[in-house]
Amino acid sequence: MTDSPQSPSLASSASPALESLLDEARSLRWEVGTSFHEELIEAIYTDAARIADRAVRRPDRKPRFDIDRSIDRLLTSRLWGFPAMFLLFTLIFWITISGSNIPSGWLSYVLVDRLTPLLRSAADALSFPWWLRGFLVDGMYLATAWVVSVMLPPMAIFFPLFTLLEDFGYLPRVAFNLDRLFRKAGAHGKQALSMMMGYGCNAAGVVSTRIIDSPRERLIAIITNNFSLCNGRWPTQILIASLFIGSLVPAYIAGVVSALAVVGVVMLGVFLTFAVSWFLSRTVLRGEVSTFSLELPPYRPPRILQTIYTSLIDRTLIVLWRAVVFALPAGAVIWLISNIPIGGTSIAGHLVGILDPVGLLIGLNGVILLAYIVAIPANEIVIPTILMFTVLITGAQGVGAGAGVMFETDSETTLRSIFQSGGWTVLTAVNLMLFSLVHNPCSTTIYTIYKETGSWRWTAVATLLPVGMGVALTFFVTQVWRLAAGF
Amino acid sequence: MNPEPAAAHTPSAEACESCALFRASQLKKLGVILEDWDHVIALAGNPNVGKSTVFNSLTGLRQHTGNWPGKTVTRAEGGFEYGGSRYKIVDLPGTYSLLSTSVDEEVARDFILFGQPDVTVVVADASRLERNLNLVLQILEITDRVVLCLNLMDEARRRGLELDARRLARDLGVPVVPAAARQREGIPELLAAISDVAEGRAICRPHRLRTESPVLSRAVTGLEEKVRAALPDLPNPRWVALRLLDGDERIAEALRSGELARLGSASASRAAASSAPGEMPEDGRETTREEGSA
Amino acid sequence: MPDPLVALLVGGGVLLCGILCIWPRGGILGLRRRLRRLSTRVLVEDALKHIADLEIKNQNASAQTVAGVLQISDGRTARLLADMEQRSLVSFHEGRLRLTSKGREYALHIIRTHRLYERYLADVTGLSHSEWHRRAEAIEHRLSPRETEALSLRLGHPTHDPHGDPIPTAAGEIGPQQGQPLTSLPVDQPARIVHLEDEPETSYAQLIAESLWPGMEVWVLERDPQRIRFLAGGEEHVLAPSLADSITVEPIAEEQARGPRCEPRLSSLKPGQKGIVCGLSLACRGNERRRLLDLGFVPSTPIQVEMVSPAGDPTAYLVRGTLIALRREQADLIHVRPAPETAEQTAAAAGTGDGTGPEASGAR
Repeated sequence: MTDSPQSPSLASSASPALESLLDEARSLRWEVGTSFHEELIEAIYTDAARIADRAVRRPDRKPRFDIDRSIDRLLTSRLWGFPAMFLLFTLIFWITISGSNIPSGWLSYVLVDRLTPLLRSAADALSFPWWLRGFLVDGMYLATAWVVSVMLPPMAIFFPLFTLLEDFGYLPRVAFNLDRLFRKAGAHGKQALSMMMGYGCNAAGVVSTRIIDSPRERLIAIITNNFSLCNGRWPTQILIASLFIGSLVPAYIAGVVSALAVVGVVMLGVFLTFAVSWFLSRTVLRGEVSTFSLELPPYRPPRILQTIYTSLIDRTLIVLWRAVVFALPAGAVIWLISNIPIGGTSIAGHLVGILDPVGLLIGLNGVILLAYIVAIPANEIVIPTILMFTVLITGAQGVGAGAGVMFETDSETTLRSIFQSGGWTVLTAVNLMLFSLVHNPCSTTIYTIYKETGSWRWTAVATLLPVGMGVALTFFVTQVWRLAAGF
Repeated sequence: MNPEPAAAHTPSAEACESCALFRASQLKKLGVILEDWDHVIALAGNPNVGKSTVFNSLTGLRQHTGNWPGKTVTRAEGGFEYGGSRYKIVDLPGTYSLLSTSVDEEVARDFILFGQPDVTVVVADASRLERNLNLVLQILEITDRVVLCLNLMDEARRRGLELDARRLARDLGVPVVPAAARQREGIPELLAAISDVAEGRAICRPHRLRTESPVLSRAVTGLEEKVRAALPDLPNPRWVALRLLDGDERIAEALRSGELARLGSASASRAAASSAPGEMPEDGRETTREEGSA
Repeated sequence: MPDPLVALLVGGGVLLCGILCIWPRGGILGLRRRLRRLSTRVLVEDALKHIADLEIKNQNASAQTVAGVLQISDGRTARLLADMEQRSLVSFHEGRLRLTSKGREYALHIIRTHRLYERYLADVTGLSHSEWHRRAEAIEHRLSPRETEALSLRLGHPTHDPHGDPIPTAAGEIGPQQGQPLTSLPVDQPARIVHLEDEPETSYAQLIAESLWPGMEVWVLERDPQRIRFLAGGEEHVLAPSLADSITVEPIAEEQARGPRCEPRLSSLKPGQKGIVCGLSLACRGNERRRLLDLGFVPSTPIQVEMVSPAGDPTAYLVRGTLIALRREQADLIHVRPAPETAEQTAAAAGTGDGTGPEASGAR
């Protein structure tokens, strides 16, 4: 049962001289006491102060006007601190959203509307068989083109703007202002910034948690970043809200109501971020080291051109590249499962049939679940995939571009008729909005989480926790809704 | 060692052989091309002192620099050619100290100690010298081949601070170069200082820490002697003694495994190979520009 | 489509079960941990630890004290001790319970593991002090000597646990517990806390609630049989002698003491006020402590409260030319004394011609 312990002998390959040296050091450590480390640091600082004083001449009088302090007084003041922050970030989001519509449409026109037919005819001219053309152009190329046209413009606007604020030195002040809120949830004030980055792209948000130097708070920030509604999910929210929620009310307030619905989803995301942070810091992550320090650097005039250049290289292009790498195989898979038939029905049809019961239980349907599974590489292609699958399954006539070819349409009536043929209700729409917020991160983000944490365990937590929460959330919403509707 | 004028890049070099412009034009930025270098340079410094800016202006790379402490998390490497020698430069993570046990500090410390860079360039914020000297003094305990780059001189001037770089160089015993890397100020002088230390033209006699507590000094001195006796070639016996007293198991392990002994013999052979000792840095190499006259 | 009510009930049930399983204390996992506590091996080891502890304090253990500490019946205690005697871990000597050398070695291994693990929890993890003891109680029965040695190596062979108890070496040596109980300290004699007894848990919790820590300086102000009144960490404490007995102190020379002037905590300074750092509270450990030291919060550093976050916390301090924001609970751990306002002004007026600015002259 129990072995009494043998006294462990250190296997030592060192020479006796070295061993006696180490022994000497060990016994001296008892002598110098536990405060050695402190006394050493104090000695270094005393020396540093002496040397610095000999080398630096300070102005006789302190300058009356210190520009840094004056900016700080404004940006962290009780009265103006929060309004200034709110205005700045509203401005950034507004510039991003309004500014990216135009290049996004333009890219989509070139890459999807113009280049796709060209590629198709090129494939025909080279006398590719139909399946090869479909696989390459309709599958891989189209998915990638979609991701690029939706993703690139907002990121190319958002990231440089954010980086300019960073170079100026404002972002640490945001963490300073908001830290109290985050501390209550067991998180770090700097998480406000990784969340903000997450609204652009979760993968970039996860990378930006590097600024948090405390292990526990950094993990919290990484795991909860997914609750920041990313750029790929905004369009889904807006489309579904305006189609289903907006149509519940009279037309003149439809716009406001659907906007409020989207804001509500974002707020739910913020709430979940805090709730999950609180939960994690008190359970799973309790043992991780937690320290707090926040240096507020001096303000520096940002260098605009260089910032734009480096943020394009560092953030936008790298994130985009990863997205492309993941979108290519996704496009291929989507095309293949829609076009390979087993017993007269495509694989997609079989999968939808299998997933339908689960989907209906949580108020969605098999098509939506399948779309979320195959479109894991990028949230941008979820809606086009859902549309394509719905048409494929219901066999609706006159819409769509063929099996495995993603499409989107501007016509609300077409969209509504497609969704109705798929059996959608307001409940489906509400659940889709919720699930779009609370589900696993896209594969780019999952990969980034793995790179940043270096741990499969935390990657699994960050992936599975939101899916579990999403399924539970939609399940309860659905059942309560049905119960309420039944009475 | 005589620097070969790199005539290939500078057709009109004869006109001004001694001015800073000429020296800068000897610089050939090599980006990430890192083949057969002659010298390895480590770039250390506190967070948010413009270390990455210095790195970028030496290598021509565009590493992102943010006004945000702790931006460089991973180790970046780049290369440049100057005065006929090829240099590999390693940008270490920004740290406040080398005494704690965070991953960043371990990376930085291990590279300076075991990576045996030919020169360690410490970038310091001139406007907050005292704070930055903390790290500088710690690095001076580990290695004596150090160049101090006083960056952000523009900010110091804006605050009305006047820095006496000569005085600092004399006190620290290593070359000190005032710079404002964002404005490309001081980079030629920095290159010259790096090459002087790398080629052995400038010999550093670095400042050593003084401890005030008698118990401490006795313990440190006693153990230092023991270390010196056990490993006579080790360049930094005192630092090793300090680390052992602080209970640094990484160093004890390096001692046990013979890693430190190898370090000692390598540094001894390098000292033998290097050319005749040059002058003390304070009357030699650092810039003569007047500083802090703003 | 299932009936929504049924579905809700089933779903709620599943959720509840999940929560029950993973809930830290009452859950299935916690239950398993508690059951393991009752195994014979754990009882043997706890008994050994108890006897060794009393031996170090020159007190005698008996079957009654063992039963009391382990909280098991007398009959079970008797069987346990008989079993231990048979395995020659203990011996009965003139009615006194003694450890054999084998038993002592075993006991010291358990104590070593316990104290090392507490040290590990204090320095390397973010767990709060209230959890150290409980977790170490569990882990001490699980680590092999080899694992304990690896832990010690990783921590740099520490000499004391966070409560100030010496950690036995692998060779089975244990440093002496220095000092005297606080109750025997004369009035006005400065002393330093070297140890807080962490058992029983309730009295330890009380000491923690008074925010007392090893390393703090204490001055006894007043002592009578009912209570002892003393200054520590800039605050006045009043304790019953029974509780004060679990505080061990070591007298220090007057000139070594930082003095009762080192009272205020950094958090008590108002914006714009200046102070000079006296030192960090010993309650601030591990990474947190090292980080604060690296950031420049070292003794004799001048510090100024620069601004407070609009949310009320954290506060930014100007330390050696840099603005550093700290949370209130961190600022609580930094002791300061008021800056010598006048001295600084005279120094500034005298100019900095000789190079000794006010910063350099900040004597302790």
